Amino acid sequence: MVNLYAKRYYFFILSAIIILSGVVMYLVEGFNLDIEFEGGTIIEMRANDKMFTEANTQELQTKIEDFVEKTINKPAKVQKSTSYDVSGTNTKGFDIITISIGSENTLSNDELTKVEEAVVKEFKLTAKDPVVSEESVEPFIGKEIMNNGLKAVAIAFVLIVLYVWYRFKAMSGLSAGVFAIVGVLHDLLIMLSVYVIFQIPLNESFIAAILTVVGYSMNDTVIIYDRIRENNRLLRKVPLPELVNDSIIQTLNRSINTVVTSLIAITTVYVFAKINGINSMEQFSFPLIVGIAAGCYSSIFIASPLYVMWKESQKKKKVSGKPAKA
Amino acid sequence: MRGSNAVKFFSILLIIGILTWIAAYGSILGFEIPGVKNIRTGIDIQGGVDARLYAVTKDNSKAKAEDLDAARIIIGKRLDSKNIFDRVITVDKEKGYILVQIPHKKGEAFDPQKSIEEIGKTALLTFQEVDESKKDTNGNYLPTDKIILEGSDVKDASAEIDAENGGYCVALTLTSEGGKKFSEATGRLIGKPIAIFMDNELISAPNVQTQITGTSARITLGGTAGDEQRDEAKNLAGLIKSGSLPFKLEARQVNNISPTLGSNALNVSINAFIVALILICLFMIFYYRLPGLIASIALVLHTVLELLALSWTHIIVTLPGIAGLILTVGMAVDANVIIFERIKDEIKNGKTLHAAIDVGFKRAFSAVLDSNITTLISAVVLWKFGTGPIQSFAYTLGIGVVLSFITAVTASRIMLKSIQDIEVAKHHWLYGVSMRGGKANG
Repeated sequence: MVNLYAKRYYFFILSAIIILSGVVMYLVEGFNLDIEFEGGTIIEMRANDKMFTEANTQELQTKIEDFVEKTINKPAKVQKSTSYDVSGTNTKGFDIITISIGSENTLSNDELTKVEEAVVKEFKLTAKDPVVSEESVEPFIGKEIMNNGLKAVAIAFVLIVLYVWYRFKAMSGLSAGVFAIVGVLHDLLIMLSVYVIFQIPLNESFIAAILTVVGYSMNDTVIIYDRIRENNRLLRKVPLPELVNDSIIQTLNRSINTVVTSLIAITTVYVFAKINGINSMEQFSFPLIVGIAAGCYSSIFIASPLYVMWKESQKKKKVSGKPAKA
Repeated sequence: MRGSNAVKFFSILLIIGILTWIAAYGSILGFEIPGVKNIRTGIDIQGGVDARLYAVTKDNSKAKAEDLDAARIIIGKRLDSKNIFDRVITVDKEKGYILVQIPHKKGEAFDPQKSIEEIGKTALLTFQEVDESKKDTNGNYLPTDKIILEGSDVKDASAEIDAENGGYCVALTLTSEGGKKFSEATGRLIGKPIAIFMDNELISAPNVQTQITGTSARITLGGTAGDEQRDEAKNLAGLIKSGSLPFKLEARQVNNISPTLGSNALNVSINAFIVALILICLFMIFYYRLPGLIASIALVLHTVLELLALSWTHIIVTLPGIAGLILTVGMAVDANVIIFERIKDEIKNGKTLHAAIDVGFKRAFSAVLDSNITTLISAVVLWKFGTGPIQSFAYTLGIGVVLSFITAVTASRIMLKSIQDIEVAKHHWLYGVSMRGGKANG
């Protein structure tokens, strides 16, 4: 039988490398805060067909930027992107002009209307509803969402530790719960690294993704714990590292298959969103893929081995304590 | 298959069939039962505008809960007058804002910016002297601009039980300035009506019975006493109060999405949903064979139940909500995976098929329960702390976990147990156990 426990440091190092590269990226680039967190205004308008060409894109973007700036006296950034209309029989791409204005200059309702009307007129946008979407958020609201999100994660942690503590008393529940949470923290760090490395904007969906992974990652750990709990009853004499290793191997199929089905589901969402250019779903599903995979990885290679290391170190303390007393 | 087992197995298939029919067509045997078509979709799918109107008080103090409620009533009134009925208006009392969501309608020329601006304006409340001979086509008095009181003259308005006449009345508290003006007017207009207008729309026209001095007045309502009168009094009090709101409403978060963008997203996610469902069924059948097939049937049941749960509860489904739905399809088979692996273990350990299935379900139960509850905890926390789209995600995830627990533990079990006696169903190969292998560790 493979001894995963003996190889634990390899897995620790692999995780550390990913998390460290996340930290490095954070120091270089920082988080990409979405409008919901940072505040600001984003207007998306449908461009005319063939309005943008390979050659004029850069120039046209700058031109719109200058025009917006002149209209409302606030600096703006303009980007062209492509979206798809899949409602009909033939999928057709069309260009979108995205105008973003920073949080310190969030537009009022009047300014929003003014910009839209002016751009439509100046650049002769012909679409029936030229404004595809607009979003304006004042910065303080983002703080609220962020605080609420952090509160939610903290509360979920506490509740889950309490539950695991109660259910796994047989394997000293509190430390089992704590190491399960260490595993979850590991997954969250991996996820955060992915957000930073790929510069995926943090928004409300980010909180949902985080909490889903918290719940999911615990799932996998609990499956293994459940087997440890059972083997604990059956095989009293087997030393703990061996017992845990056996439990992990015995449940390996289950752990992998439950993750595989979830990955099939969420990866399908990602692929469909990516192909059809639906950004919000793409940005939501990608981190979930990483988080779910990391959740499985950490249950097998991080949380359980750490739990064993902790129990072993406690035992050693007891043993080494004894002669001193005698 | 013995008779009773066959009945059980086919009953489940029949139930799934009926539920699928209901979900797809929204009716059965002439009874209307909400189905997939009745699922309410959010602004991000349907397109529309979503704005948070914050109450901004003069001294930056927190807006009072009842004032926010009054503002909600007036916003509703204004949307009514624009024939926008399919909207959601919710008040967040803690944070002092009113969330207004108006979906796009097909073929509707609708300027969200302007609408939000209009509905956010504080209503203009006036008490006016009217010319009794001049009425509009509905028999309502017309505004005359002979203004007696304005919104700022009214300090408070509330619905109260009318101690003298029985029924309900609206009690007004005026400012001292307002009291003086009202005393003068009521002295002059005994027996005549004083009309109350909101943005030039008549909301009530009580007759003056006696001169009212001081700062409190009451409006008695005609008609029969009862719940209807109480609601009317509450509504009128709310309207009058909203005219004297101590704050203005400012749209600080506006989100407007065109219907094309949203419907694209919906089409894409429905396709993703179907593909994910098929892929997972294929995986389960390929890997677990006969139990896998049963898990796939249970998964269809799970999916249909979840869709029905969404259409019956009028929860608004957003894009993250659909993502949650698809994700739960993946997670719904978790319980079955745990159980089937256990059954495989037991078969490999030499148990008979019967015993293996029994023990498999029994021993896997604790793992299934524990793993589902941890996910459920996350879903509940998300539901409690999330807003809009996130709550939708939490809801689909939470319902999905509960349903998956029920379908995996009960439906799969009944189906699997009812076919275990068929001769062809006894081959271990059908349970994903290779016959060559001895004791394995899977």
